[in-house]
Amino acid sequence: MAHTSLWTGSDHYLCDPELAQAFHMARVLGMPLLIEGEPGTGKTELPLQYAQDQGLDLFLFPVGSKSVVEQFVAKFDHVKYLRDSQVEVLNAQREEKGMAPLSSGGRRTEQLDDYVLLGPGAQAYLKPHSVLLIDEIDKAPREFPNDLLFALSHRKFILPESGRAVEVSEADMPAIVITSNREQELPTAFKGRCIYHYIRFPEPATMREIVARHFTNLEPLLLDRCLDLFYQLRDLGLERAPSTRELLSWLKYLQAYDPERALEQVQTRTGMGILVKTQKDLARVLRL
Amino acid sequence: MFPSLPHTFREHGLQADVRTLLLLRKSLERGLVRTVGDLYLVLKGLITNDPKDYGPFTEAFYQYFLDIDIQPGEKLEQAIQRSRIYQEWLERQDIPEDEDDEKLVDRFLNDIHLSSYDIQQVLDGEAIFRDDNPDMDDPATEDQEATRNEAEAEALRQAADYSNMSLEELLARMRQIADKQQTNHRGGSHWIGQGGVSPYGHGGAAVGGIRLGGPGGGKMARKVIGDRQFYPVDLKMPLQDDNIDVALSFLKGIEEESAQLLLDIPNTIKEGVRQGGLFLPVEQEKKERKVQILLLIDNGGRSMTPYVRVVLKLFAKMKRRFAQDVKTYYFHNTIYGGAYTDAARREFEALDKLLANSADYHVFVIGDADMAPYELSQASIGQWQAIVARFPRAVWLNPLRERYWEYAFTVSIIKSFFPMFPLTVGGMEQAVLHLNKKIRS
Repeated sequence: MAHTSLWTGSDHYLCDPELAQAFHMARVLGMPLLIEGEPGTGKTELPLQYAQDQGLDLFLFPVGSKSVVEQFVAKFDHVKYLRDSQVEVLNAQREEKGMAPLSSGGRRTEQLDDYVLLGPGAQAYLKPHSVLLIDEIDKAPREFPNDLLFALSHRKFILPESGRAVEVSEADMPAIVITSNREQELPTAFKGRCIYHYIRFPEPATMREIVARHFTNLEPLLLDRCLDLFYQLRDLGLERAPSTRELLSWLKYLQAYDPERALEQVQTRTGMGILVKTQKDLARVLRL
Repeated sequence: MFPSLPHTFREHGLQADVRTLLLLRKSLERGLVRTVGDLYLVLKGLITNDPKDYGPFTEAFYQYFLDIDIQPGEKLEQAIQRSRIYQEWLERQDIPEDEDDEKLVDRFLNDIHLSSYDIQQVLDGEAIFRDDNPDMDDPATEDQEATRNEAEAEALRQAADYSNMSLEELLARMRQIADKQQTNHRGGSHWIGQGGVSPYGHGGAAVGGIRLGGPGGGKMARKVIGDRQFYPVDLKMPLQDDNIDVALSFLKGIEEESAQLLLDIPNTIKEGVRQGGLFLPVEQEKKERKVQILLLIDNGGRSMTPYVRVVLKLFAKMKRRFAQDVKTYYFHNTIYGGAYTDAARREFEALDKLLANSADYHVFVIGDADMAPYELSQASIGQWQAIVARFPRAVWLNPLRERYWEYAFTVSIIKSFFPMFPLTVGGMEQAVLHLNKKIRS
């Protein structure tokens, strides 16, 4: 099995050892990896970077408050089916009158599979060794994770209308990553089917490495100051503490200036809107 | 293998069952577990479901595999120092005189938590180090470095050898240990002591402290046990400003969400007729049920005063975040024909008017229900019953500690027909679960 070797991150992504092991374990066991953690700690990045780094196909299913399992697995296109079946009747009448038949795009109404639109889940199962990301599953309606249970534990989808089963062997199982922001509790039965990992917020030393993967020529003094302020802000107990993502955007912004100007910006706390997201927090930060 | 494992972990409030054992076995077969550190990580992935599980999990792991039993109120360090496994480990170490206990425990934990990933990292790091190192200026230091490196490299080579140890051998050892655990009365598993799974008890790979990529596993484990973040909010605590957000997150659970598409029959027919008999289904999104709340608060007695403010704050937050409609009523002890719409209890609203609200409303009654028996008249009981009958989603949240409920006569009467939960964070969760049950139609 070629795709179960330990993957420890790429040039742009630092995968912390525990996450790397959890991900490795999920792939070896053919189970989905459920990642939780603060927003902006690279939950979604993991599968994206992994797929890119390893050159694998990536299937993405961003979950929204209206997501249903049909969108994820496959949808039967009732409208097209109804149209085509009515077109058949119509064509018979047209033939009598000697008119040209209407086209139904090569679809045959006896062939129910022609009307099945595969969703990212089924596509990933059909493609060996792909990567499947189910992003922000906590946004889904409550029944969504429960509906997924069968597919995840039996590695099988059944398309109800055509009766076709999409199945994948354990060896070809896609690497499934599910992310959650903990906006709602997921059902216990669902969590039981997953390898669980909670991304801890990186320590300053780790954060340095993360920054180093993104920026190569950063003034050391500037970086020190930025990190100091960043962790200070996190300790402040703000309503919305800044995360890795915000730090990286901030550094990117500061890079647009020459080092002295940038340092000045840090000292005078200008451009804090990148790090701090509420008015109340901003007032607190400026009072520092 | 490890038949008593689920039991031990369940005792710590974790989800572990036969499936855990099967998956563990699978992990062993697939070569995921080579050291105790690996075992810890694998089981963690399988068993924990929430960051708040990490603390209890680590405790259970130490107890089951290492026989380190953390007594209530005891620190991890003390428990480790008490344990036999640590004593045995100590005997095999050459301890420098000035080493303090804390550092020793750290080293012990690092040894335990050393995973094959760490070993790989150390090996990689070693290779890089050697590649980088060829031209040093000072021959003397170079020699020293070289000998030191030699020693470390030796240890590392051992580590690498170890990680290639055959699976059968490892399983055999584990079985041996499991047997011993059955025969020995709580003798624990001397995994490390008897040269079990980890060879690093002999001051192996971690000696030079060359550890790359993040802090050692031991430090992490210690953090988990000490860190408040990984110990949940005490769910039995009464509702306060501190845990109001947790309560809110539970209340958010009553938000009804649905993504069903329904066939819109009237429009399908209308459109079909208009198209001359070509019927195309018109679909319609099922309407979401709005969260509507009736809040009845007992703001009478002194016993209720501390809670009224917090409860109002909670529901104000709720209204701001996701509830469309929150109507608040006040009463003293119990209701007599109606309730008041203002906190001073001047504006009276009759019960009929209250009952005229749609049955979709969620009703929360907050009160201690503790009063003199004569106050709770038959009529008043009837009125509460009318509320429960009218609104299928009604709960009573009681700030009185649950263990006193049975001693308060009026509480037990109301509780007999009104679903009652304690006004604690955990109680809110139960209440929401109750509210979400399929309503009788």
